[in-house]
Amino acid sequence: MARMKFISDAERCIECNGCVTACKNEHEIPWGVNRRRVVTIDDGIPGERSISVACMHCSDAPCIAVCPVDTIYKTTEGIVLHDKDLCIGCGYCFYACPFGAPQFPQDGAFGLRGKMDKCTFCAGGPEADGSEAEFKKYGRNRISEGKLPACAEMCSTKALLGGDGDVIADIYRNRVVFRGKGSEVWGWGTAYGKPEKQQPQQQPAAQGAKS
Amino acid sequence: MLLTKKASSQAGTRGRLSRQVAGYLGNTLDRRAFLKRSGLAVGAGAFATQLPFAMIDKAEAAKQGGGETRVARTVCTHCSVGCSIDAHVQNGVWVRQEPVFDSPLNLGAHCAKGAAAREHGMTDHSARLKYPMKLEGGKWKKLSWDQAMKEVTDKMLAIRKDSGPDAVYWIGSSKHSNEQAYLMRKFVSFWGTNNCDHQARICHSTTVAGVANTWGYGAMTNSYNDMQNSKAILFLGSNACEAHPVSMLHTLHAKENGAKIIVCDPRFTRTAAKADYFVRIRSGGDVAFIFGLLHHIFKNGWEDKEYIRQRVYGMDKVKEEVMAKWTPDKVQDVTGVPEEQVYTVAKMISENRPSTIVWAMGQTQHSNGNAVVRASCILELALGNVGKSGGGTNIYRGHDNVQGATDVGPNPDSLPGYYGIVEGSWKYWCRVWGVDFEWVKKQFASPAMMTKPGITVSRWIDGVLEKNENIDQDSNLRAVVYWGHAPNSQTRGKEMVEAMKKLDLLVVIDPYPSATAAMAAMVRQDGVYLLPACTQYETSGSVTASGRSLQWRERAIEPLFESKPDHTLMLAFAKKFGFDKELAKNYKIVKDKDGWDEPEPESILREINRGVWTIGYTGQSPERLKLHMKNQHTFDVKTLRAKGGPCDGDYYGLPWPCYGTPEMKHPGTPHLYDTSKHVMDGGGNFRANFGVEKDGVNLLAEDGSASKGADLQFGYPEFDHLLLKKLGWWDDLTEAEKKEAEGKNWKTDLSGGIIRVTMKNHGCHPFGNAKARAVVWNFPDPIPQHREPLYSPRPDLVDKYPTHDDKKAFWRLPTLYKTIQQANKDISKEYPLIMTSGRLVEYEGGGEEQRSNPWLAELQQDMFVEINPKDANDRGVKAGDYVWVETPTKARLKVKAQVTERVGAGTVFLPFHFSGWWMGKDMLEYYPPGSAPIVRGEAVNTATTYGYDSVTMMQETKTTLCKIAKA
Amino acid sequence: MTAAALVPLGLVAGCGEKPVTVYKAGKYQGKADSQPWDNERFKGDRNAWEKAIKDRSVAQNEYARVAHSK
Repeated sequence: MARMKFISDAERCIECNGCVTACKNEHEIPWGVNRRRVVTIDDGIPGERSISVACMHCSDAPCIAVCPVDTIYKTTEGIVLHDKDLCIGCGYCFYACPFGAPQFPQDGAFGLRGKMDKCTFCAGGPEADGSEAEFKKYGRNRISEGKLPACAEMCSTKALLGGDGDVIADIYRNRVVFRGKGSEVWGWGTAYGKPEKQQPQQQPAAQGAKS
Repeated sequence: MLLTKKASSQAGTRGRLSRQVAGYLGNTLDRRAFLKRSGLAVGAGAFATQLPFAMIDKAEAAKQGGGETRVARTVCTHCSVGCSIDAHVQNGVWVRQEPVFDSPLNLGAHCAKGAAAREHGMTDHSARLKYPMKLEGGKWKKLSWDQAMKEVTDKMLAIRKDSGPDAVYWIGSSKHSNEQAYLMRKFVSFWGTNNCDHQARICHSTTVAGVANTWGYGAMTNSYNDMQNSKAILFLGSNACEAHPVSMLHTLHAKENGAKIIVCDPRFTRTAAKADYFVRIRSGGDVAFIFGLLHHIFKNGWEDKEYIRQRVYGMDKVKEEVMAKWTPDKVQDVTGVPEEQVYTVAKMISENRPSTIVWAMGQTQHSNGNAVVRASCILELALGNVGKSGGGTNIYRGHDNVQGATDVGPNPDSLPGYYGIVEGSWKYWCRVWGVDFEWVKKQFASPAMMTKPGITVSRWIDGVLEKNENIDQDSNLRAVVYWGHAPNSQTRGKEMVEAMKKLDLLVVIDPYPSATAAMAAMVRQDGVYLLPACTQYETSGSVTASGRSLQWRERAIEPLFESKPDHTLMLAFAKKFGFDKELAKNYKIVKDKDGWDEPEPESILREINRGVWTIGYTGQSPERLKLHMKNQHTFDVKTLRAKGGPCDGDYYGLPWPCYGTPEMKHPGTPHLYDTSKHVMDGGGNFRANFGVEKDGVNLLAEDGSASKGADLQFGYPEFDHLLLKKLGWWDDLTEAEKKEAEGKNWKTDLSGGIIRVTMKNHGCHPFGNAKARAVVWNFPDPIPQHREPLYSPRPDLVDKYPTHDDKKAFWRLPTLYKTIQQANKDISKEYPLIMTSGRLVEYEGGGEEQRSNPWLAELQQDMFVEINPKDANDRGVKAGDYVWVETPTKARLKVKAQVTERVGAGTVFLPFHFSGWWMGKDMLEYYPPGSAPIVRGEAVNTATTYGYDSVTMMQETKTTLCKIAKA
Repeated sequence: MTAAALVPLGLVAGCGEKPVTVYKAGKYQGKADSQPWDNERFKGDRNAWEKAIKDRSVAQNEYARVAHSK
């Protein structure tokens, strides 16, 4: 059973913003709304690292808990989605989210806050899969096409991995073995909870693993 | 853990939304941050409010038609990596873009530009030029194609009649396909001039000349993929993370597998952030730095002595010079790099072989650029890295087809395939084209002009502005055609508008002509024409990636609006000029939906295949290229070789040289000069292009050094009919081949017989087997010399390392060196900061196309200057302030200050992709209505200064001086 | 607005990489969503869908395309 996850590998991310425009392209996201973005730490000095951030589709999603109209749900694959028809644009999910994922596009000409918009793991929403209604509200539904999020699939250095948590953790673990040093998967603990079996940091990778 | 720290306090000064979000990772949230985060406070002119989902409407319209989805495989047009893209097209609308995991070059990966490729002007609010326009009485006016073509060609013919064919200057494009670039050179030749050029001049001309003169071919020796086989990778003058992001997939993979990454740069670039070792070097000190490395290599005996003995000419002379002149103290004086760091780098690249050096415009764009690149070649030769997988000189080229356009396109000093422009070259190509040499000769002003290299794109402004008696052609330039080239990529912008003002006619043919249009409209009332060309996604053809692999682009969609493919337009122009029959003689003509004649790209490529033997563009038939595109998954990522399948044994994209006829089935050459492979397996050796001896020293390879399995296991000259006869191989030719090959050499034998016999029957290389040259005696500096930039921050070093003497007639123009340097020797008192320029990942080249793409424009909204905190504080400048950047030309740029330690104290950096502001003023009113890009800003080249390479006329952009004050 | 929803607000403010508090979520009130394999493409075949997803997951691993002597 697939449990969908994102991993952002800071050793690989080069802040090219490919994930950001891949998302814009696939879902035709308007100017000013960023379901995904790249954050850089220590910009311009040794130690500079970047990571790509969007909704992490948390195991225990705080947004679901705080939503006053209970419009956020989790799919069988662990993807956190919402029904925009019920959303009142209050912004509580935004306050609750440790990753700043929820976005509030402008609605109308007077700067009113619109309904919440966020990364869907390219899984659309509760409209018919691949329908016009789904596309207009949530963007494309790649998951129902058997594809993975465009951002991860197009990542320039394969820093951003998305997909079945077991598989991408394996991919990442393999890298760490070759690298021969500790990992830097950002956000894993926050998004997916305390160490569990797939968590890369827990693997006996590191030293002397190169042959 | 490091990544839980807050974002830097420098937030926002680069206009990056990601950086505007202070505290994005956690807790700090105020209303302002919230608004920014939710996109409400972000504005950019007309796009402050939400963009309409305009493309959806189109897609919907298409869906209502219920059309089937067609998938076209094309190649990204934003850089030279060559990333494949699958365009999903429904009822003629490009509705989706899918990653191509099968591609061995990019494995589905894209940077911001590639991932945004679909939005190349498809929306109705697009800044694409939609129909022909002209400037009339200071206003832009719509024209019909008929009217526009008539007015433009009538004016050109009138200028030709009055002032001769050399009065028109044709600026072609490195974004043209191979077929278009090739046709452009042919077209300009039939017009009767060598006055044509393209972006390669200002990108890698010094590389091409320097590298070709060292060992044979002017190209990247290995490939992006081959980085995976390197043990140490030295980036000197390349910021691949921003300029060639997808190449980093291979580089970081190599790093993961133990390769050492070293970055030497004036800036702590994003590539430096991924390096094992970073060295900050003074801009312009490259030769001194490289020779500093060689000093340690020679001193410690780390050079590959046997390799040098067998395969390199003149290393002894270089060693003498290096040991005497480039002691660690002198290296430090010039470069600012302490001995210990130079030693560390030398040791790393020596102990981890094969090692490679990577460069881009950081090495090339200097007034001694040819010397810098040759120093790099010498370094790799000393280490014995050239001609080896994992080694070589990996020269990252810029535009998607700048390599191809250099190989077969509009160069002012050569016909396609580096055949030159001497009479014999012309006669050869007339034979291929099937036209009468005497007719072509008559098209020129005189036979002398036919063999005289034309003016370069870096200097066209001087072709207009220079006094007539000083220029080496009859008339000054009176008309300029910008055919797929940005104006803001050339230096001395302040003088460019003067040149634009003085022209009789300016024609711009481009999908996005607006920067040129606006600059011209700022100083003119009329005489400017804009003709809409389509993008490469709207036509088909081949494109050569930096690693020399050719890929075939399928047409994704029909040309948008009223635009036309460039090759269709070339034929249309030729009709008006009366040489369409000659131009299209060998081509199949296809009628487009409007009844225009399009010369079929496949048949143009077949003509290239028939003529370009020199560099092996002969084996890549359209059929073979298309087969590769369909079977990408059969190619190994690390070797680029197909295992099984219909392309079995081929290297991906048949990287040139792919010798002989397509039927000979040469697999292409993954790494140039590799003696460990048979020539029919892509092996080779250095080229015999400079004679067999020099001053009594043997120039051919020494005994025992030859490609694997060659019948001749020693040095030999290039093959011609005489050598074949001498060796007794002549009778290996068929009767038909003999007839054609008689009196010819391997480059001019149209039968391909000499090549077939040499390679297939005898395993030898048709271009001979010689040594690489560490000393290039035909260049101004046979041994590369450090020469201070014309605008140097160090008057003391100007005395020690002065520039060249002035040149009177160089590419038809007087060219100044010492005069400028001496006049500005103490200018650093007034202009103390070194000013350098470079790339941003979201944009490319002049940036017009990407700044018109909302998905990219949103990510970089402001032109900026990177300034060290010390320099900023000394000037009272705070992060995000507007500042004036002024250079010795007195041009002033109003840009935002990005205060950062990315640059060292004393150096400032500006990106070169902006245009649309002119010395503090938004040029919006000068754009044709609706065609202004979303993001506009000062062009750094408005303020850049004079300075040109002494071989190729490459412009100096990387080292000049400026001062900065708060605006 | 339910009380359950309000509680965690104070707890998450300020969290970076800290362990996540367990929340008590309300019951989802929106429209029901279908399974990703319940459509024309997969015709309810969950295994086919899972295989497709797994193949795409693996496609992100360039090591799978590179021969390693290590």
